[in-house]
Formats: sequence, structure tokens, C-alpha cells
Amino acid sequence: MPLSVSLSIEGDTTVIELTGELDAKTAPDFHQTIEKAAGHGTSTVEIRMAGVGYMASAGLRSLVFAQQKVADHVTIKVVGAIEPVSRTIRTAGLDRSILLSDD
Amino acid sequence: MVELARTPAALEVPATVGALGDIAAFVLRLAEGAALDKGAAYRIRLAVDELATNIVMHGYRGGDGRITVRGRSGPGGVRITIEDTAPAFDPVEGCLPPVPGLPPERRRVGGLGIHLALTSVDEFSYTRRDGRNISTLTVKAEGTDPCPPRP
Repeated sequence: MPLSVSLSIEGDTTVIELTGELDAKTAPDFHQTIEKAAGHGTSTVEIRMAGVGYMASAGLRSLVFAQQKVADHVTIKVVGAIEPVSRTIRTAGLDRSILLSDD
Repeated sequence: MVELARTPAALEVPATVGALGDIAAFVLRLAEGAALDKGAAYRIRLAVDELATNIVMHGYRGGDGRITVRGRSGPGGVRITIEDTAPAFDPVEGCLPPVPGLPPERRRVGGLGIHLALTSVDEFSYTRRDGRNISTLTVKAEGTDPCPPRP
């Protein structure tokens, strides 16, 4: 299943909305969007993942990349991830630097 | 003991990122045949996907190669073998659990993929035979999640 990625700005938040499956094949699309989002300079980057039904470690790599691209004071939030996806994020220990929230 | 069909289903694909979707569809069909619940089906798919991705990216190092996936499902669960002819690689030795205290951005995410794979299945074994890496993964229908989310 392909991944659809959209990017928008809401106030001081850059919103990336993902729908589909995030794996080694589709993660490069997410990567490109992160590059653009990091250039916006907002204080928060919110990644909406409620529509992501599957995420492999390639998605983790993208989240790590996001952390590296944004400035230190920028908060990265992952919103609405389904349980197995948030479990993968926690298994990698990324929940210590990325905020996981239900909504 | 997991009760499984006698004859395995098989899929052989080129070792490319583009073939990962075919492997995922094959695994999900087997999971459906075993009537695995959603969580168990997700775990076996994730485990096979991570190992296959590793074979594509690191095993054949971007060169030509084939991946053969065989699977049997039954009321007891699903057992899948993944075979390749890349240089010998034992996923258990390549597994890299998260290191407490090390910032995520300094970790090797590749090793984490294998860690994800091995913690997602109920049983795992590896053997090198006749120039082939053979990994066998089992998810039991009645199995409990070996890596539950932290409270």
C-alpha cells in the first residue's frame, strides 16, 4: 500500500499527515517531507499518523532523521499512532525524545 | 508444538525494495489462513519485512539476488522460513537492542530492525546450509506478545 504525505502549517506548528504504510519502499517520501518541514522553522513539528496501518524500522529511521534536522528547541510530536506503531517507537526508545500523543 | 499444514506455500522474489510488498501480502495471506488475530498478524509481517529488508539492503549489498519465503499456517499459528544466498549472516548476532542512555540519533537503526523482528516472534532460529542463510520464524496463534508495550 502506498504512502500519502501532506504538509501544512497551522500557526507555529508544521503538520505532516501520513496515510498508508511506512516501510523501506515508502519512507523516502516521508524523508523528503521532513526536509521541507525542518526548513519551516516552526516551534513544533506534528506528525499525524492515525492513518498509518503499518510502520517498519525504515519509519524509525525517518523519525531519527527528523530529530537531526530540526533545531534543538523544536518539539516533534507523533499523534494518533495505532498501538503496534507506537510500540515500535517505544521499542526503539524514541519516545524519550519524541512526544507520543493520542490526539 | 504448533500445528501446521504439511505442504508449504512458497514465494521467490528478486531481492529488491519493490518486492517487499509481495512478501508482505504473502505473509498476511498465511496469517489469515491461521486465523491469527490482528496483533499477531502484524508481528509476523513486521518480523519478515525487517529480515527481508535487511537482506536487500545489507545481505546482497544492493546487488542481484533472490529471496525465497516459505510458509505454513495452521490452527496453531504460522511458521515462515526466509532463505537467501548472500554472505553468512546470523540475525541473532546482528541484533542490536536499544542501548539505555545512548541518544536514539546515535544508534544504528539497521540493527534495531532486527531487534524488532526477533522480539516480534514467538520462536526464531537461524542456520547456514549449502551457501544459504535460512531463518525460521514462528508466531503462535495462542502466543502472547513477547514485547508488550511499557505501561
